[in-house]
Amino acid sequence: MKFDTVIIGGGLSGLTAGIELARAGRKTAIVSTGQSAIHFSSGSMELLGYDRDRHPVENPIEEIAHLDPVHPYSRLGKERVIELLKRVKPLFEETGVKVSGSHQRNHWRLTPMGQMKPAWLTLEDYLTLESPQSLPWKKVAVINVDGFLDFYPRFIEAGLRQRGVECLTASVTVPAITHQRESTTEMRATNIARVVNSESVNQLADVINRTCPDAEAILFPAVIGFDNFEASRRLKELVKRPLHFVSTMGASVPGVRTQLMMQSYFRCIGGAFMLGDTVTRGYFSADGRRLLSVETANFADDHLEADNFIFAAGSFFSHGLNSTPSGVFEPVLGLDTDAPDDRSAWFDKNIFKPQPYMRYGLTTDSSFHAMRGGRTVENLIVTGASLSGADALREGSGAGISLLTALNAADTILTSKN
Amino acid sequence: MKKLDKHYDVIVIGGGATGAGTARDCAMRGLKVLLVERFDFTAGATGRNHGLLHSGARYAVTDGESASECIKENMILRKIARHCVEDTGGLFITLPEDDLAYQQLFIEKCREAGINAEAIDPDLARRIEPAVNPDLIGAVKVPDGAVDPFRLTTANVIDARRHGADVITYHEVVRFIISGNRMEGIVMRDVHTGEETEAVGSVVVNAAGIWGHLLAKKAGVDINMFPAKGSLLIFGHRVNNTVINRCRKPANADILVPGDTICLIGTTSDRVPFDQIDNMEVTPDEVDILIREGEKLAPQLATTRILRAYAGVRPLVASDDDPSGRSISRGIVCLDHAKRDGLEGFVTITGGKLMTYRLMAEWATDMVCAKLGLTDRKCTTAETPLPGSETPLEVNDTKKDKDGHPSRQHIIELPTEQLAAEGRHGSLTEEIRWQNPGDDALVCECEQVSVGEVEFAIDKLHVHNLINLRRRTRLGMGTCQGQLCACRAAGLLDKADRCTERALDDLCSFVNERWKGMYPVAWGDTVSEIQFTQWIYSGVAGLDEFLDGRDTEHLLH
Repeated sequence: MKFDTVIIGGGLSGLTAGIELARAGRKTAIVSTGQSAIHFSSGSMELLGYDRDRHPVENPIEEIAHLDPVHPYSRLGKERVIELLKRVKPLFEETGVKVSGSHQRNHWRLTPMGQMKPAWLTLEDYLTLESPQSLPWKKVAVINVDGFLDFYPRFIEAGLRQRGVECLTASVTVPAITHQRESTTEMRATNIARVVNSESVNQLADVINRTCPDAEAILFPAVIGFDNFEASRRLKELVKRPLHFVSTMGASVPGVRTQLMMQSYFRCIGGAFMLGDTVTRGYFSADGRRLLSVETANFADDHLEADNFIFAAGSFFSHGLNSTPSGVFEPVLGLDTDAPDDRSAWFDKNIFKPQPYMRYGLTTDSSFHAMRGGRTVENLIVTGASLSGADALREGSGAGISLLTALNAADTILTSKN
Repeated sequence: MKKLDKHYDVIVIGGGATGAGTARDCAMRGLKVLLVERFDFTAGATGRNHGLLHSGARYAVTDGESASECIKENMILRKIARHCVEDTGGLFITLPEDDLAYQQLFIEKCREAGINAEAIDPDLARRIEPAVNPDLIGAVKVPDGAVDPFRLTTANVIDARRHGADVITYHEVVRFIISGNRMEGIVMRDVHTGEETEAVGSVVVNAAGIWGHLLAKKAGVDINMFPAKGSLLIFGHRVNNTVINRCRKPANADILVPGDTICLIGTTSDRVPFDQIDNMEVTPDEVDILIREGEKLAPQLATTRILRAYAGVRPLVASDDDPSGRSISRGIVCLDHAKRDGLEGFVTITGGKLMTYRLMAEWATDMVCAKLGLTDRKCTTAETPLPGSETPLEVNDTKKDKDGHPSRQHIIELPTEQLAAEGRHGSLTEEIRWQNPGDDALVCECEQVSVGEVEFAIDKLHVHNLINLRRRTRLGMGTCQGQLCACRAAGLLDKADRCTERALDDLCSFVNERWKGMYPVAWGDTVSEIQFTQWIYSGVAGLDEFLDGRDTEHLLH
């Protein structure tokens, strides 16, 4: 099979690059195992949340100047970052994913454990706050679903109370969810979202309307709306007070929904999304300067050939990187990695301190091309969490790096001579 | 200072198997007992060993007395602690590089100690245990097994309480109340609040393992103990179903024990200074030795994921006439400090091993009773089943296993989470609620721990935090090492009306405690798992925000 571009990895980064390329009329394929980091997202995306000393950043753009030179943002350059940022919201708009937020000023989101974290873009039905201290209510109700263990009303209550908001807690259910409870493992956010149909939304709205009547607003776990915004919008309409979703732990409904909507849009505009497949091997030109084709688990005989490739397989968690006691490696194409061999340098023994391994990734040239055996692979660009140089978790930059390096990779391919 | 009202007959210090066993024995003999533990039960060496139900064969050649104690206790534990024991059987294998002549001596010495050791054909050994190194040139079958030290200790604590003992955890004994040449009680400090409380009693038993050395010093008594660190690795699943030992003189990493869902290789053995005993770390060299030697027992270990590394400290006791510590006894040491040091009312029970905890408790209790002039009180712990092993479970009488015992198969097959709970708690499972909706919902999917079991543990098993809960139920001990179950359980613990602040701190401690065992062996899938854990705990849940500006050093302990 012959494509213009084959993308390895169907997470936020791979899909973003895929949509850009497919929209430009390029024949594009994405190979995806089916699960990616976005499936565990919080409903918000981060551009740059914290500075070097872990102080929350107000204006992410200004903070970029203070990042390490090896950071993907520094390598793109501030001007280029701003240019690319302007394309992000329209891209989400196009795929039907509604987000709010600005790259000039972070807002705040509420976590399922009652903490506040800076965010850049947040899905439309989620709670966003201007500042972690100024909450817009005096009294709010945190309503959980009966028997749902991945959401913590009492932790949220404690967090809000600390900020001067009185907080009521309650839990509700509807028949479809009660039925779900009969299985010992089905009370997970995404499983609940699958069974809540329009009838259950009506029932749910009824019971929420009767619960904690003197609360000004309702906070509800993000367990509604598996693959589109219909159910969550309808619930918000039917509930007579403002209702905001708060992210849950475990597989994330907003994350799965975002991924599914982007995936379906990519397919709509002609992209080939090879779900449940995985690249097993790459074939390089004799001089090693070009990747010619890749073999996948499902197409062992019919390799995917392409002019260009994008490596967006993620970090350790997504198996874009792997390790043995004696080093970090990229498991499929044998690409060069940017990490020390000595494993005692990888970790801090306090898990909540900076972990060096978080910054490891693939070695790339100045335009993000992968390296192999010390030489640039001219038609293979690395994006997102596979890049080295950033502790995306600690600084709050995961989504930003994924999106911006993907847009940049698409541009590189679209403007190249091939 | 606060003072407990009761005057105890005996105050037992140390919540390991020995302390819990001593508290049980004393309480069963009608004494008024207080058991005090600095942290949680099984927090010391009890919870940091192989979980091997020794047949004694390992000591047969070098220490016949220990060997015969082991086999006797082995047979006793099979009766009184059925729900903590798994009869896996054991093999002592001879590899091509080992001396086959040792096997003959080994079998002779085993028989002398009363251990049923039988040489078998290597072919049969390969059939009994397909994971064994196929190159073996000799094999001996012995009655080894697996024992869960967490549940064993908990059962002893439960029984001590049933017989009237008071139990206090998270209190460190900071000094003794001594009047003249007589021990009269203790002062203990709440490790969380720092508040001190006095408790008085006729006899104080020091059952604090290696920490007993430091404790005795506080009473002005010198016991010549040496901390010996032993490191182990836990593998992600059961590679073997039979204990595999090397048939040679005891050495590093020559025992592979299956237990619950995992298997364990160990140990190394190194003297460490006393300032390290509260914070054992497994070094890369130790990890390398354990893997290298482990692969010789079961080659499959080379490709099996390592879940964790951990280390315990054995209390080695030197003879009183040898302060240099060259002549170390591995046997039980029961010291009457009245005779030895002129301090009345103080007893130390140490040395020994998990296998002989009950016998150690018996010796200590005998000594306590002698001091109290109650020599007519006979020990019954060898015959009385522990809670959990008391009544036969609901059984299908028509089915018998190969030994003629009623089979544990239920008339109606139970759901997995109930079977798992039963495997862990034996007949105590009857106290777990299953009738309300959601009681059977799984909190920990790896180890099949349900809401009902968690709530039972919180109510009945002395659970104050997530680490306690893990030790009582195996929650967070599976392949994901507490990724989502930890926060679910934190939610349930918090519901039991606790301070939310403390609950979050507890959750952070738990995540760090899991990491402590992971980072020495973090490569491959373990790095993927921990990266995911970090993303959800810091990224999604925002525990990093919670910790920002707080001291996180305490999370390391």
